[in-house]
Amino acid sequence: MSDAVVAAQRISRVFPMPAGPVVAVCDVTLTVAAGEHIAIRGPSGCGKSTLLHMLGCVDAPSSGTLVFDRRDVSTLDDRARSLLRLRHIGFVFQRFFLLPMLTAAENVELPQAEAGAPKRERRARSLELLAYVGLGARADHRPAQLSGGEMQRVAIARALANRPRLLLADEPTGELDQTTGEQVAALLDRVNADGTALVIVTHDPVLASRARRVLTMRDGRIDHEAAR
Amino acid sequence: MKPFLFVLALLLSLTASFLGAQAPEPPSILVTRQLAEREGLAVGDLVRLAADARGERARTFRIAGTYEPTPNPLRLGLVPREVRLHLPDLLALTRDPDTPAGTERVSSVNVALVDPAEARRFAQDVNARTPGVFARRAAGAAGMGSIFVVLERFHYAIAAVTIAAATVFLLALTIMLVDERRETVGVLRLIGLPARRILVQVLLEGLFIAAAGALFGLALAAAAEGLINRFFQWRYDTALVFVRVTPRVAALSVAIAVPLGAVATVAASWALLRRRALRLARR
Ligand SMILES: Nc1ncnc2c1ncn2[C@@H]1O[C@H](COP(=O)(O)OP(=O)(O)O)[C@@H](O)[C@H]1O
Ligand SMILES: [Mg+2]
Repeated sequence: MSDAVVAAQRISRVFPMPAGPVVAVCDVTLTVAAGEHIAIRGPSGCGKSTLLHMLGCVDAPSSGTLVFDRRDVSTLDDRARSLLRLRHIGFVFQRFFLLPMLTAAENVELPQAEAGAPKRERRARSLELLAYVGLGARADHRPAQLSGGEMQRVAIARALANRPRLLLADEPTGELDQTTGEQVAALLDRVNADGTALVIVTHDPVLASRARRVLTMRDGRIDHEAAR
Repeated sequence: MKPFLFVLALLLSLTASFLGAQAPEPPSILVTRQLAEREGLAVGDLVRLAADARGERARTFRIAGTYEPTPNPLRLGLVPREVRLHLPDLLALTRDPDTPAGTERVSSVNVALVDPAEARRFAQDVNARTPGVFARRAAGAAGMGSIFVVLERFHYAIAAVTIAAATVFLLALTIMLVDERRETVGVLRLIGLPARRILVQVLLEGLFIAAAGALFGLALAAAAEGLINRFFQWRYDTALVFVRVTPRVAALSVAIAVPLGAVATVAASWALLRRRALRLARR
């Protein structure tokens, strides 16, 4: 494990609310090294998602520094941060968030198209990725024609489209039954084994136990860290 | 100037009578198509016309043809009971019995010009050449013009209200449309599309939809134009054109509709994009 993909130094996130500020994440220091596999556990509302969003440059810390790929994220504007997400970070969510009007292959092509990949190349890459997640035969199906597990696998293929260095997954098995959940977990393991750093937020202990580092959060802080 | 230039709208006591062959061939007249239809007149028929309502001193004429009268919006719905006579026949018909032929007084003569824009120059010309004759642009035409000015203002008012109402409707519609795409936009933002990139996309879509809508509207107007004109021309038995989509009107509609549609789309999207993409991920 060489250099850090993303390094958070004492980051906090405070949401100013009418009833008073909500401290979602407080003083968290965390480094994700290249190729690492981290799980973040903790009770609902402890700040897991908020931390993940900051690591993924979707949300910015209220304080502390976040360095992605040696770049201080706080100095980047919307465009630069968007492009950073586009090229280097993949997201997977509990509720898949595929674009319903596009086929599986087109969903996977979209981030590549935005990154400027030529048409033929991205079509080939999409088919390759769909085969990788076991959906080679479903390339031209729309999300509505796919099951939950299949949609999540397409979402994973899309997240990998631009060969990101970091894959962030927020409760990726939350909407799936146990068997499909395990298939998706196994797929994520494989993605990590193939070299992509992986941070999974989950309250499923079985899914968490697959990671090499398991962080437990409580009230916005990292309460406990276990390594395997 | 053609022989049938002089128009007289007469209250006619009109008797379509069939007279046997008379020695002198009666003078010819033209009658309006509508009059011919109403009274069952045909070309070649003999009719008796008089200048007064009691039919005194009526004269016989032969119908040489029918004509389509110049439509007059002020007399919509009235059957144009008009005939056109040669000037000498008209004078003979209307002359006081005590007035010898050739000494009639004509107080005014209407002259129709091929190019109405020439009227002022023509009047100047006549005034310069014939002392004692006073030529000016017809008051009737001016009066009609002012009617059209009122109509046009009325149209502008309707158009303004329509556009204002349509804009509100359009904005509501685009807000609904954009709201429906909240999730899509959120996904695109999470994937890493810059806000500006999405806004440009939305703007292009807005332009496309607005242009398509404008073209559809024009096609609809063009189709309606024929139907409306045909219906009212039938209803009022006139050649008057009621609706006309001119290239200028079409261009104006597009020039208003397309930017309006694009602005409405962007305005609706703006609020959505300003919110953080995070919102989506939270749900
Ligand atoms: N956008 C937001 N506005 C206000 N409060 C928020 C927002 N996002 C998260 N929070 C609050 O921050 C805390 C942590 O939320 P979250 O990170 O979603 O927790 P978890 O993912 O562990 O369930 C919660 O109390 C939540 O209500
Ligand atoms: Mg969460």
